Amino acid sequence: MKKKKVAKILAILLAAAMLATGCGNGGTESSSASEAVDSGSESAAVSEESGSEEAEGGEESTPADEGGEATAGEPIKDFKTWASVSGGDLSTLICQHSEGTDVGTVGANCLSPLLEFDNYGSLVPAVATEWGTEDEGLTWTFHLRDDIIYVDVNGNEIGKCTAQDWITSLEWILNFHKNAGLNTSMPVSTIAGAQEYYDYTKGLSEEEAKTMDNSKFLEMVGIEAPDDYTLIYHCLDKVAYFDTLATGSCLYPMPQGMIDKVGVDGVVGISNEDYWYSGPYRLTTFVPNNERVYTRNESYWDKDCTLFDTVTVKMIESGDRDDELWETGEVDHTELSTAKLTTIINDPSNQWYGNLAETRVAKFSYALLFNYFKLDKDGNPDENWNKAVANDAFRLSLYWGLDLSNIWYLTNQVNPMSLENLAYTSQNLGVFSDGKDYVNRVIELLDIPEGDGTKPRRYNQEKGEQYKQQAMEELGAEGVTFPIQIDYFIKAGDQTSLDSATIYKETFEALGTDYVNFNINTYVSSAADEVRKPQLQSFDVIGWGADFGDVSNFVNQGFYNDDAAIYSVERFNLDDVTDEHVIEQWEEYTRLGRLANAETGDKDKRLEAFAQAEAYLVNNAMVIPWNYNVKWQLTKVNDYSKMYAAYGNSDIVYKNWETSTVPYTTEDYERFKAEYEAGGK
Amino acid sequence: MAKYTVKRLLQSVLTVLIIVTVVFLLLRMLPTDYYFTEEELIKLSEEEKQDRLMAAGLTDPILVQLGRFYGELVRLDLGTSSRVQAGLEVTEIMTSRFAVSMKMGLISMGVSLVIGIAMGIIQTLHKDKFFDHLGTVYIIFVNAVPALVSYSLILVFGTRIFKLPSLYSTNDVARTSVLPIVCLSIGSIAYYALWTRRYMVDELNKDYIRLARIKGMSSKDIMVKHVLKNAFVPLIAYVPASLLLTIGGSLLVERFFSIPGMGPLLTDAIGRYDASVVQGCVIVYAGLGIIGVFLGDIMMMIFDPRIKLTGRGETR
Repeated sequence: MKKKKVAKILAILLAAAMLATGCGNGGTESSSASEAVDSGSESAAVSEESGSEEAEGGEESTPADEGGEATAGEPIKDFKTWASVSGGDLSTLICQHSEGTDVGTVGANCLSPLLEFDNYGSLVPAVATEWGTEDEGLTWTFHLRDDIIYVDVNGNEIGKCTAQDWITSLEWILNFHKNAGLNTSMPVSTIAGAQEYYDYTKGLSEEEAKTMDNSKFLEMVGIEAPDDYTLIYHCLDKVAYFDTLATGSCLYPMPQGMIDKVGVDGVVGISNEDYWYSGPYRLTTFVPNNERVYTRNESYWDKDCTLFDTVTVKMIESGDRDDELWETGEVDHTELSTAKLTTIINDPSNQWYGNLAETRVAKFSYALLFNYFKLDKDGNPDENWNKAVANDAFRLSLYWGLDLSNIWYLTNQVNPMSLENLAYTSQNLGVFSDGKDYVNRVIELLDIPEGDGTKPRRYNQEKGEQYKQQAMEELGAEGVTFPIQIDYFIKAGDQTSLDSATIYKETFEALGTDYVNFNINTYVSSAADEVRKPQLQSFDVIGWGADFGDVSNFVNQGFYNDDAAIYSVERFNLDDVTDEHVIEQWEEYTRLGRLANAETGDKDKRLEAFAQAEAYLVNNAMVIPWNYNVKWQLTKVNDYSKMYAAYGNSDIVYKNWETSTVPYTTEDYERFKAEYEAGGK
Repeated sequence: MAKYTVKRLLQSVLTVLIIVTVVFLLLRMLPTDYYFTEEELIKLSEEEKQDRLMAAGLTDPILVQLGRFYGELVRLDLGTSSRVQAGLEVTEIMTSRFAVSMKMGLISMGVSLVIGIAMGIIQTLHKDKFFDHLGTVYIIFVNAVPALVSYSLILVFGTRIFKLPSLYSTNDVARTSVLPIVCLSIGSIAYYALWTRRYMVDELNKDYIRLARIKGMSSKDIMVKHVLKNAFVPLIAYVPASLLLTIGGSLLVERFFSIPGMGPLLTDAIGRYDASVVQGCVIVYAGLGIIGVFLGDIMMMIFDPRIKLTGRGETR
């Protein structure tokens, strides 16, 4: 009898174990999983047609009419968001010791910078109430507020913020043994004596460098604080855009009191408990690879702004998990994965169909960068490719003849045309005094027809064909053999890259397999060591985001014979090129670009000069503008209310965000966009 | 016993040293690209990259680096992280993560032992009947289906039906630990059930059990005093290693539920070229593995006095 009882209890336990571990429900779950896969593949099969249909529909084709209702939620008090830690979590909380956006976000929310952005990307006062230059950018003066205080993690006042904190910070950055060379590139290229001080500390022993006081630094470097609330920077040359650096990590403050508390060796690894806060939030919880919680700083200087009570950032192992977290209500916004977007867009009865919202254009501008001196696997020049890429008609045949819409469709199935990028520089980086965006001025200078938003503006099959014939004639006479081999490299085993490379292949070979042959090659672990250093690639597609608010950050990367021009040295390989025509073109571009750089007095003249240089670059197809990044999301945040920055790494500040406890609809978002554009400059 | 322990200890130290040296050299063979983020690779000049590698001590000749590493080891210093949590001592990083992994691991192990052994016993008692078949289906399911698929099913089931949170949170440990512990346990439950059943069935077929029955011993006494006890001996060798390896965490489960444990630390460190953290993790994992096997041997000896670890100058 007892035995039977025990057996029964054990049997119940067994059944409970199986139920708890999900075994009993496996059938139901797996069928729903396969449904998702089916719908994904179905949409992939019809992708070409539906892409153009949706694009043709334009605004009418958006799902607003189907399920969206006017949103009537309350503002969110405790905001929940996510961040991907696929490459690891924050390496430090010190924004001066990192160039990544993740750490930049900590700095931007926990410290007050000199200046910040409004939602249109214009600089507005923060710690600095007034700022300017009287000598066209040689000297910049910032007048600081005197009511900014530092608090500890519990919100207790522990110090005052003064100009000295910016001096301490810059010394830290430029001291090789303190900051390991991070964040130095902008200070050394703009501030007088910065490079010399960096080199000086590099020559010191670690102990000497870490124990020295500020006297040597102030003697060598162009920074001074005549009083506690005035800060002056002396630039190397006239730097018209220096104030835009004031939003970046390299010009953030670092209180000496904090350093004294944890010691020089403890700064980089400082905990959130020891951190000094002057920004809108305190980082009250920081568990690496798990979550961080920002709590409103009641002592924050901007009493009129809107802040959340708390912001919880959940760390997820990949960007795809946020879709699940949205479904379970654990986050307040999600960037939709391709699979999820496909599921929603193909099913008007889906509960989120009416809530699809397009993200704002990200600050990265992607461009195709040719390798002008390609080598083969034996290290010999690939004469066939090098002659082809030196030929204007060949490059122009790609420029006009490649239909990029299928490539854009990979990222944005609903509105692929929003990814269209016609210029080399990113949008909103330069604005003329009449409000015109610099990029629009560049496009005016390009020979590109107006578009109706349904098909790529630049794509012109006829023109592409003409240039192809011209190239075949000219290159044939030079002994080039056809089809020209285009070598493109992806990481071995990376399915996403392979999918995208396959579309690239189709796009290029649509020009004719008698003309080009697109080879998808693989590298094992390092693109730099295995591909770029041996100069094996025919081209790269690179997204560049500006570090400061000036077009030179894009344009200067291609200067010929300039070690600081990263594209020129590492991507174009111009230093190795011997073809006179190629050199002439890049020299002319460099000349135009340097003229623009020299124009420091008049902003409009400066932008116009840069536009001329960039138009020369693009019109000659020396690079080919490729795409922007625009995705789809489900969200309870009005992106148009957020601080917006076209440059830098510290623009995610949870301040003045308009939110709703009910997800916004597509209609809401269209209205936000229209209102934003109407209110713009 | 003492002689065996000392010999085994020395062997272990040598093994760990060889492992860690091989890992050290392998790591230095990786391209230094790993030290930089993608954006840094695009934007930094070659000189800037070299400066940063120099600051991390990675441009010194490899023998100098190896010597420095051994020197630190002798001082029991595992160094400082340069990328994973820059500026923090490796021991500090690992200690905070040990606790989380160990807590999760111990709970899941307790759950697995209780449920797994109970399942094995029930299957034995109902051999070739419904509960035995049901248990077998579970074991086959767990072993046949990839872990990630099982975890996904558990996640969907747990979040949609039971409204449990899908990510671990230190602010709500109890609720947020349920799904990870279920995921951590399903495999071990199947393991313990499988082997408990197998060893018990083996024992039940032995002559001494038949003799005990003939002598009139009750079924309960036979099961508890003989079958279960003898069947437990082979299982016991596995317990210490499992217990210690819980400290190492589970890469998959901890990543999946964002648990701040040891699991993802090693892969993060390799991915970011954080040499000190990689070496620290390898020493710990190798050490735990070796100690686990050693303790397993000792426990087997305690539970079954017939087993000798040394005899006539030979070790087991």
